[in-house]
Amino acid sequence: MSTPIAVLADILKYTIAAATPLLFASIGGLFSQLAGMLNIALEGLMGLGAFFGMAAAGASGNLAIGAMAGVAAAAAGSWLMGIITIKFKANLFIAGLAVNLLAVGVTTVLSQSWFHTKAVVAFDIPHLMPAFPAFLGRIPFIGPVLFSQSMLSAIAWLWVIAAAFIIRNTRHGVRIRATGMNEEAVNALGYRPDRYHMAALIWSGVGSGLGGFALGVSISAFVPNITAGRGWIALVAIYLGRGKPLWVAASCVLFALAESLSNYVQGFSAVPPLLVLALPYAVTLVSLIAAAAGKEE
Amino acid sequence: MMQSERELPAGARIALAVVLSVVLAAAVLALSTKDFIPALGQFFFEPFANRYFFGNYIADSVPLMIAGLGVLIAFRSRNFNLGGEGQIYAGAIAAGMLALSLPEHSSPVEAWLFAALAGMVAGGLIGTLSGILKGFWHVSEMISSFLISAIVLNVGDYLITGPFQDPASNFQTTRQVSSQLLLPRILAPSKLDISVFIGLALIVVFAVMSKHTRPGFELRVCGENEEFARYCGIPVALYQSAAMGISGALYGLAGALIVIGPQARVMRGFSSGLGWSAISVALLAQNSEAGILPSALFIAYLKAGSDHVMIGSGVPSEIISILQAAAMFFITARHFPIRKRRRP
Repeated sequence: MSTPIAVLADILKYTIAAATPLLFASIGGLFSQLAGMLNIALEGLMGLGAFFGMAAAGASGNLAIGAMAGVAAAAAGSWLMGIITIKFKANLFIAGLAVNLLAVGVTTVLSQSWFHTKAVVAFDIPHLMPAFPAFLGRIPFIGPVLFSQSMLSAIAWLWVIAAAFIIRNTRHGVRIRATGMNEEAVNALGYRPDRYHMAALIWSGVGSGLGGFALGVSISAFVPNITAGRGWIALVAIYLGRGKPLWVAASCVLFALAESLSNYVQGFSAVPPLLVLALPYAVTLVSLIAAAAGKEE
Repeated sequence: MMQSERELPAGARIALAVVLSVVLAAAVLALSTKDFIPALGQFFFEPFANRYFFGNYIADSVPLMIAGLGVLIAFRSRNFNLGGEGQIYAGAIAAGMLALSLPEHSSPVEAWLFAALAGMVAGGLIGTLSGILKGFWHVSEMISSFLISAIVLNVGDYLITGPFQDPASNFQTTRQVSSQLLLPRILAPSKLDISVFIGLALIVVFAVMSKHTRPGFELRVCGENEEFARYCGIPVALYQSAAMGISGALYGLAGALIVIGPQARVMRGFSSGLGWSAISVALLAQNSEAGILPSALFIAYLKAGSDHVMIGSGVPSEIISILQAAAMFFITARHFPIRKRRRP
């Protein structure tokens, strides 16, 4: 039997793994929020990243190529959204809903035509490299929790740190934020707000693409609705983070903890699994309300 | 502004959206099947081919009319109700549970009324919750309605496959609602029933309400200019909550009518996609109740066509998602950048 400590280590280990796709997507989406173009299509873009990423990884036998394909597909989706909203002056939210629908349609139709099924497509892909040398994993508790994580999880945290740096310290980041705060001032300074709107949307596509790919890799397969609402949960993380990358990341970890706990509880409890599956959404909803109520005071 | 000169009028945009999504449908078919010409026939003409297909097509447009009205009411108050999937499910389950608990020989009319009411209350409560969260704590109704809906979908799946599972069935479904309690069919052998009249009546009622009554007018003001509405003493938070509530109630009613109508039971996941389709309907209707009817007929037509193509040519019926996405893109694009020669 496993000791309470081992159980805790298990839950935390899975929390970090479950946070990985959320971190990629929400930090990407954060750019869009800072530019004043909050992208609600993270869900659909993650689906594109998962499908095209896994298809390319399966075909090439190379995870890096898969990741690039996933990123390219999701970035193309967000670029399309940018064209529609910036050039054609479409409503951003409606364009976002359209991209979500488009992603479902495109992935299903292509899944049928490439793999002859609309259901689960399993891929024979190489194992993910561990992020740390094996001996670190033997450190009690911290070893299994932190040092047995995959390369993708490590990259997700590098992505958080890099985004924080870009947003705070680079010219590009400052201009994206300025565009979100005062478009006219940016215009008056001689920069084109449209360019930063587009750049921010592409960032959100890149993040979502990686996030979707990470989801696919974690189960070595693509299944319909693989994202299962994670794009929306990532959006809530963006809301809760109030523009700060590290707070966004912290919110992701909170939601990942809920997912990990519900996974764990599903294993043995008397509570029906379908009800337990609702737990991450409930936790997300409650934190959203708590944050809003807190702001009011 | 210069841009407004090139802005397309609503009528042209709707026409463009319709034409372009039909063209796109043909293009998608050309790419995804070798039997292009038969597939075209299946997509565009089979829904009208006979009484059976036509009746089924119209039957599928009914929930879209009702739920589409629901989306529209939320739009009026500047609210996005993204919880339709869960609200339909909740309405269906509430109506199903009620209809299944009635004794065999209950009066059908009473059963219809109670089932419809149960559906409206279930969907309405869920919608109102998002409305209240928005009205009083400024929680984004878009996100909250989606999350609540995700919770409801899981709980609903549990109810259908757990306590209410039909022990005699191999499918994940509740028991069948007694056939005496179902809405009377018209245009047999298709699944069309009298709920189509309920849909049409609701469109008329809402059209009249919004143009000729005070609440209808005040709701418009809330949506168009919140500051001004507040200045006039209109209880904005109340209207927003109520609009989300009515929106949810209409979604719930749409679900309930399917259960006491064509489906006669609640099957797991039966409403998947309906909530999103209703949003396309409301967008195509461009904020007009009267517009809901042609929009629902159009989206249901695309859906019927996709279903026929799937049966006939094996093209996944999910092409409907691509077509709806395209229609949404086209309808919301306000401005078509036609390249002009720049003056030096």
